[in-house]
Amino acid sequence: MNDDNPKPFADFVSGIVWLLLAIGVVAMSLRMDRLEHLQVSVYSAPGLLTGLLGIGVAIMGAILILRSVRAGALQHIEFPRFNFREQWRLLTGGALCLIFAGWVVGSGVPFWLAAALFIAVFVFVFQFEDRRNNGTLPRGALIAAIYGLICGAAIQYVFQELFLVRLP
Amino acid sequence: MFDGLILFGNSIASFATPTTIFYALVASLIGLIIGALPGLTATMGVALMTTLTLTLPPNQALLILICTYVGAIYGGSRSAILLNIPGTPASAASCLDGYALARQGLAGRAMGIATSGSILGTWIGMVALALFTPILGEAALKFGAYEFFWLALFGVVISGNLTGNDPLKGWLAGFAGLFVACIGQEGLYAYDRFTFGIHDLSGGISLIPALVGAFGFAEVLTVIKDRPPKVIINTFDTVIPRIRDVTQYWRTIIRSGLIGTGIGIVPGVGEDVAAWSSYAAARRASKEKEKFGKGSVEGLMAAETGDNACVPGAVIPVLTLAVPGSAPAAVLLAAMLIHGVQPGPLIMVQNPQFVYDVVAMMLFASIGILIYGLTLTKLLVKILQVPQTLVMPVIFVLCTVGSFAIASRVFDILVMLVFGVVGFFLRRLNYPMAPLVLGIVLGDLLDKNLRRGLVLSDGDLTPFFIRPISFVLFALVAGTILLNVPAVHHAAAIGWARLTRMFTRGKPVA
Repeated sequence: MNDDNPKPFADFVSGIVWLLLAIGVVAMSLRMDRLEHLQVSVYSAPGLLTGLLGIGVAIMGAILILRSVRAGALQHIEFPRFNFREQWRLLTGGALCLIFAGWVVGSGVPFWLAAALFIAVFVFVFQFEDRRNNGTLPRGALIAAIYGLICGAAIQYVFQELFLVRLP
Repeated sequence: MFDGLILFGNSIASFATPTTIFYALVASLIGLIIGALPGLTATMGVALMTTLTLTLPPNQALLILICTYVGAIYGGSRSAILLNIPGTPASAASCLDGYALARQGLAGRAMGIATSGSILGTWIGMVALALFTPILGEAALKFGAYEFFWLALFGVVISGNLTGNDPLKGWLAGFAGLFVACIGQEGLYAYDRFTFGIHDLSGGISLIPALVGAFGFAEVLTVIKDRPPKVIINTFDTVIPRIRDVTQYWRTIIRSGLIGTGIGIVPGVGEDVAAWSSYAAARRASKEKEKFGKGSVEGLMAAETGDNACVPGAVIPVLTLAVPGSAPAAVLLAAMLIHGVQPGPLIMVQNPQFVYDVVAMMLFASIGILIYGLTLTKLLVKILQVPQTLVMPVIFVLCTVGSFAIASRVFDILVMLVFGVVGFFLRRLNYPMAPLVLGIVLGDLLDKNLRRGLVLSDGDLTPFFIRPISFVLFALVAGTILLNVPAVHHAAAIGWARLTRMFTRGKPVA
């Protein structure tokens, strides 16, 4: 997968996903209540547009599949290989974000503290390699902690105190 | 004409208070910083600022959002010139000549050109906003269900066609957005669609959390995925714009301003297409074509004028049709609705003052970028050197706050996370995000007007095709789709070549 030019196989897979999604949408739209018991016109049935959208997506998904097959999607099947060393930044960052959002949602920790911890850990983790190479790990940890606390407190103050916006 | 000037004068007078001016200056600065930092887009900036301004009076809140929007589009030029990285997609065209000028030791002059182009572009768009909004608003009064149906479809189709490099994927993204808009209670009978018994889904997918996810969280994931390159900034000379650069290229400025505004009016296309189109038009018309891409002042001026002129242009359909001209304008539309402002065909009847308030907001925003364009270069250079590892976690915290604060719903944080992850993968697969956003905005319009139209005509499809405006919009939708079919495109190209040859002296028709 590449931002500018995804491989035909990736398009093939995404085409199949679109097609399956579209089939599901069309099936559910057809089964949707047409509200005839409320004397509602059949032309204003709730599933009308969703059904048409499903048909449109199905056609486009099929074209995407055909196009990718013509581009050689099935000749050079390449499943994406997982390599933690190459993907660690994405996985770690994504996991930290999900933990933070999940944690804030599920716990009673004050927002400023949760934000400070998240920011500090995030900064420390992503600067770890450079700091270790430079021999400045303790300094890095301290800076990350101070930075996290300042940001957490500032966000809380600006949103909650200054602009009266409710925080999670 | 004079009524408009009086209303504009009233707007200026109402905004000329210390608090409002302070808000305008701060918002322009925030926008500029968001735009300058690669990875942070105008859409995300405006979405996050919407949250921050929830409790402010409508006019002050919208002033802040418009200043952020204009500032962000301008700010993108800074990193384009200094780092060869567009701060926002709108500034991609500015990299070509802006960075080339910087490599020649003329980064300051390039920034001056960007400042003058952006301000003049905003002003051209602003004049168009003041002149065309009443006209378009009057035309929009003739729109019925059939016209709105085609308009919504046209927005998604044209946005999908122009915003990425693969129209099929653009349309798929647009249709996905339309489908997302259909989730929850539909607008005619409050019937739950695709909610699977989940109570929170009945309220539908809110635009702001979806946008914050698709443009914020997805961007955070994209940026942290790779190790950031070391920032090397060229030295720069004076950033004060030269009058000669403006007078010498006045034709380019006016042309780019008009192109940018025109593209802004087209639903869902946005600033990046405006910049590239203005750049291409300037190159075609230029006497110094060979300089383009190698440090052309004219090229940079065209790109910067075009993208900033697009901002007021994109607001014109927001005000008159409640249809956004770009992704950040979609957030503006949502913000107007949150603040109780009802844009649409009746705006010139019910609230004409508001249109001129928006024009005045654009003026304040342009003054803001002028001030910062002349004064804050060194600070911005320092900001550009801030490591992304420090910026991204703060952005994610703001994304979480931004999603939650609109309705105080934890569910919206989940929406943000889902849209972020899905948006990240869709981007990796080359699906543009702008049609998705436009689809979410226009889905309700499309749904209600399709069903209303069919009920009004008792299932007869002919009114969708024979009413004059409907027919034009249908022809545009059909033409846009068909021109992407290779055989049709080829035939159209041959037909166009023959047609133009008929009018070319000395060349017989083949």
